[in-house]
Amino acid sequence: MNLNKIIPYKKMSLKELLTPDNKLMALIAVVLTALFFIGVINVLVHGHEIYNVTKDHPWGLLIAMYIFFVVSSTGLCIVGSFGDVFDFKVFAPSSKRAILGSIVTILSGFAVIAFEIGHPVRMMIYNVLTPGLTSAIWWMGTLYGLYLTFMIIEFIFLMREDMKNAKIFGLIGLLVGLAAHSNLGAVFGFLNTRLVSNGVFYPTYFILTAFITGIYLTFLMYGYYYRGKSFPENINNMLVNFAKIQGLLIAILIFFEAWKMLTGYYGGVPGRADVITHILSGNTFWLGEFMCGMFIPFIVILFSKGKATKLMVPASLIGMVGIFFMRYDLVHDTQLMPMQNFMTRVYQEMPGFVEYFPSNTEMMIGFGAIGLCLVLYYLGTKLFDLTSTCHAD
Amino acid sequence: MARYGMALDYKNCINCKACEVACKEENGVLLGADKHRIWVGVNELEGEWPNIALSSSVFMPSQCQHCDNAPCQEVCPTNATYYDENHVVRVDVDKCILCSYCVEACPYGARYEDPRTVTMDKCTFCSDTRLARGETTTACQNTCPTKVRTFGDLDDPNSEISQLLRNREHFSLKANLGTKPKLFYLM
Repeated sequence: MNLNKIIPYKKMSLKELLTPDNKLMALIAVVLTALFFIGVINVLVHGHEIYNVTKDHPWGLLIAMYIFFVVSSTGLCIVGSFGDVFDFKVFAPSSKRAILGSIVTILSGFAVIAFEIGHPVRMMIYNVLTPGLTSAIWWMGTLYGLYLTFMIIEFIFLMREDMKNAKIFGLIGLLVGLAAHSNLGAVFGFLNTRLVSNGVFYPTYFILTAFITGIYLTFLMYGYYYRGKSFPENINNMLVNFAKIQGLLIAILIFFEAWKMLTGYYGGVPGRADVITHILSGNTFWLGEFMCGMFIPFIVILFSKGKATKLMVPASLIGMVGIFFMRYDLVHDTQLMPMQNFMTRVYQEMPGFVEYFPSNTEMMIGFGAIGLCLVLYYLGTKLFDLTSTCHAD
Repeated sequence: MARYGMALDYKNCINCKACEVACKEENGVLLGADKHRIWVGVNELEGEWPNIALSSSVFMPSQCQHCDNAPCQEVCPTNATYYDENHVVRVDVDKCILCSYCVEACPYGARYEDPRTVTMDKCTFCSDTRLARGETTTACQNTCPTKVRTFGDLDDPNSEISQLLRNREHFSLKANLGTKPKLFYLM
């Protein structure tokens, strides 16, 4: 079987493959990947006790990083589909790179979640044998599995320049990805007892922030590829358009967040208003989510009218730091209120907020997976020609 | 088949924690595991000496509420959480993948990870132990010196619990969530 006929790739020696263009980036990727594997060995030896999660705060950094990666994947899928599914010529150059990005990010997310879930192999067996159809986690996991399959098929067709099939599988992958991703939001939205998360907000917010994340990552991918050089005209034109869309999306996000906070605070409902007050009194929201994730990139776009594409690269890096805090905060804030009845009679006033800080092993696996993602992306860029523009025309 | 529930005359609780000890002994809960299958909540006294509100000085024994509409069962991706033939909410440890979604969804904080099986665990109304041996009481009920707990079949109109619930006012915790708990607090 000739693999090159299935998916065209650049033939090169192992030495060429393992010779990075950028030594610093290679070092960062290798160190982070090594940390990931050290963390994995740690948890395999010591078990889940090595995590700082508790019965009051069962989800921690690894869930946040899983969400971080799968949000990135969905976002890149949306970005990629602009060119090859919806035939917007201006965005066509990004398709191959974005779809490769969506594959490597979701693989990294799966790598993280595999060590968060207690029994990942059992999960694959009983997800099929006794599916819990009322569970948002079941739908999310199953749909993400399908999504990955479609993304890989789409990528193969993109590399074969078979735009007709790439479009079909790209569209199916996009729809399945959106369904999976909104189900991930529903994992939190369905928690009737967690007032700050319950409701329609997260399933829609996840799609919005995925799109924003996808555009940040597109800037980072192109910023890195054209580092030290100016963008070619077609790429610059594409990035200007992405920046304008990003400006609109961030404005919508700020609008969404403002109303989430206001409706959460309004009326002083116990378990919701106090959590919102707690969130708004913390730096992770104002500095992390708002300043990094929204405000700084938005200001860059606003004052340059989206034309400062080079400046958007560091702004997108700052934006991704903000996206991380959005994921971390959403997981942590959901669990701020303890559920057990310790100090009061009818659960109306809780004794205090649940505290959590990730353990070293959680940080090694969670942040180390960024290295894994970088290595996979590097291998993809080395092996595949991502520069040719795909378009049905 | 029965539909087991429990009534708690919680104002009789003296916080001796004999129920916690009996539960650990009967069901093999790890020693030192704090507030796991069963626990006693302590109210903060309201007011300042000498005007302390006696009504605030009560203890709140609690455990899994064995909801008829259990959120933990609804969110389980592998159906590891299930209702057994007696409507008791149970965990099939062979199917549990330890995703912890049930812990997130339970409004009562009634679930925890058993580090020995690396799966979720919770109160089972002694289904694997005392009920399996043909006994009709739970360990926590049996040991309680002030007879806080009454365990029995809610579908049997002649059971002690059914009569208690007919004759005494009672409430359920977080009833507004529609979970239909089968733990009833007698007023």
